[in-house]
Amino acid sequence: MIKYQRDNCGYCGACVAVCPQQILELTENEVTKGIGCDECGNCTIVCPMGAFTREDEP
Amino acid sequence: MKYDVVVVGGRIGGSVSSLFASRDDVDVLMIEKRQEIGTPVQCAEGTTLSTFKILDMKPSRRFINSYIEGATVYAPDGRALDLEEVTGRNFLDGAGYEGYILDRKVFDKHLAIQAAKAGTDIMMKTTVKDLIRKEGKVCGVVAKHLGKIMEIKADVVIAADGVESNMTRLAGLTSPNQPRDIGSCAQLELVGLDIDPYRLNFYFGRKIAPGGYLWMFPKGEDTVNVGLGVRSNKKTAYQYLNQFISRFDDVTPVELNIGGVPLSGPIDRTYSDGFLVVGDAAGQVDPVTGGGIHTTAFCAKVAGQVAAEAAKKEDTSADVLKKYDDIWRERFGKNLEISLKYRNAADKLTDKDMNALAEFLEKNKMENLSKISAIKFLGKHPNLLKLIKDFL
Ligand SMILES: Cc1cc2nc3c(=O)[nH]c(=O)nc-3n(C[C@H](O)[C@H](O)[C@H](O)COP(=O)(O)OP(=O)(O)OC[C@H]3O[C@@H](n4cnc5c(N)ncnc54)[C@H](O)[C@@H]3O)c2cc1C
Ligand code: SF4
Ligand code: SF4
Repeated sequence: MIKYQRDNCGYCGACVAVCPQQILELTENEVTKGIGCDECGNCTIVCPMGAFTREDEP
Repeated sequence: MKYDVVVVGGRIGGSVSSLFASRDDVDVLMIEKRQEIGTPVQCAEGTTLSTFKILDMKPSRRFINSYIEGATVYAPDGRALDLEEVTGRNFLDGAGYEGYILDRKVFDKHLAIQAAKAGTDIMMKTTVKDLIRKEGKVCGVVAKHLGKIMEIKADVVIAADGVESNMTRLAGLTSPNQPRDIGSCAQLELVGLDIDPYRLNFYFGRKIAPGGYLWMFPKGEDTVNVGLGVRSNKKTAYQYLNQFISRFDDVTPVELNIGGVPLSGPIDRTYSDGFLVVGDAAGQVDPVTGGGIHTTAFCAKVAGQVAAEAAKKEDTSADVLKKYDDIWRERFGKNLEISLKYRNAADKLTDKDMNALAEFLEKNKMENLSKISAIKFLGKHPNLLKLIKDFL
């Protein structure tokens, strides 16, 4: 599962640029993730702060 | 609501487009989704005189933090090279212009103020959600302000919405980037770092900044922007940065900046019917250095002028707007293309290659580089051969 931690986010928009599903949107100080994530992991690679991470299913 | 030109994004690309369109006497609206212009800063703030020449502006103390006289590059093994000695000229741009460290917050705001004074209307905290299209032609935007949706008609929409660039995707000009084409950046503005206030420092190496480099840009006597761009899935940019900074005692951060830089070179087409793209959204950034201020300034100026001219002639079709694409490619197309080639070749270099190159350049200054010594050296380093052959 791809998890977004708002506390770690620095609002730069890099994740938005690489999401192939185009489900990420940067509002002023938060990224919202729509439905349809294919877990490609692109956002986890480019995020400078590690706000997007891949978590094992519980 | 109806405007001749609507500009999406209110930083350098947006303000410069708006300024030059307004100067040509058309009605311009600039829309910025954040509630402040230019924050948070996503930039190391280095530029050259060419930016001010493009903008017909004088470099002013108001938005310049410091003046730069030279640069030192550190190879992975720590070997230091002063670039002006190696190349025999100021490296900052081809023309040898002097360098500056800007105060981007003040500079971006200043540009927006100039646009407003020239007649541009500005809407803050307003997000463009969609493009309005009629028979395939872009003819306006759908925007949202405090929950209220509005339609704004326009003869030309200029997308200056940065690395996110939803607009170019909505217009069908690009698809999402690959992670290897985005430099993931983190920067701390530090107090207490004792370095030459007139000199830039660059550090290379897989351990320091894999797939990129680290910079130290002095902002006058008081603070230094220490940042890096990486392309790696091992650690985050912020982790690499903290790892580097841990070598200094008693430094204190007063600002954290992060961002993504598009390093794929320009997109194939920067115009369509009723639509232009400028700046990071168009990939008008040097793929080696990640520098985009002066290219964005030039391209945005031309976009504003071409959009105004087309609106006045009441023909904003792709055929007419193509003039923008032609003009900016004439000025920067070749440079960005060569730079992308260098980036691709440099991506293959190992730390050992970089150390060998630094050692070689230290011994052989560029201007009196003999072909024989170069060929001998390159014969031993095939990765470097590809990178350096265009220099010879
Ligand atoms: C860490 C870092 C360091 C850099 N250092 C340098 C340097 O030292 N020298 C240099 O020359 N270049 C540097 N660059 C590159 C340079 O900062 C950019 O090329 C330049 O700022 C691009 O300007 P822009 O106007 O195209 O985009 P941006 O500055 O990204 O502006 C886009 C604006 O559009 C707004 N926006 C986005 N979507 C919407 C929407 N839907 N509706 C309304 N508004 C929207 C955003 O809020 C933003 O304000 C650096 C980049 C980074 C990330
Ligand atoms: S994992 Fe891929 S699809 Fe899912 S949000 Fe991240 S970039 Fe988008
Ligand atoms: S890349 Fe990371 S820090 Fe930047 S907006 Fe996306 S989640 Fe936030």
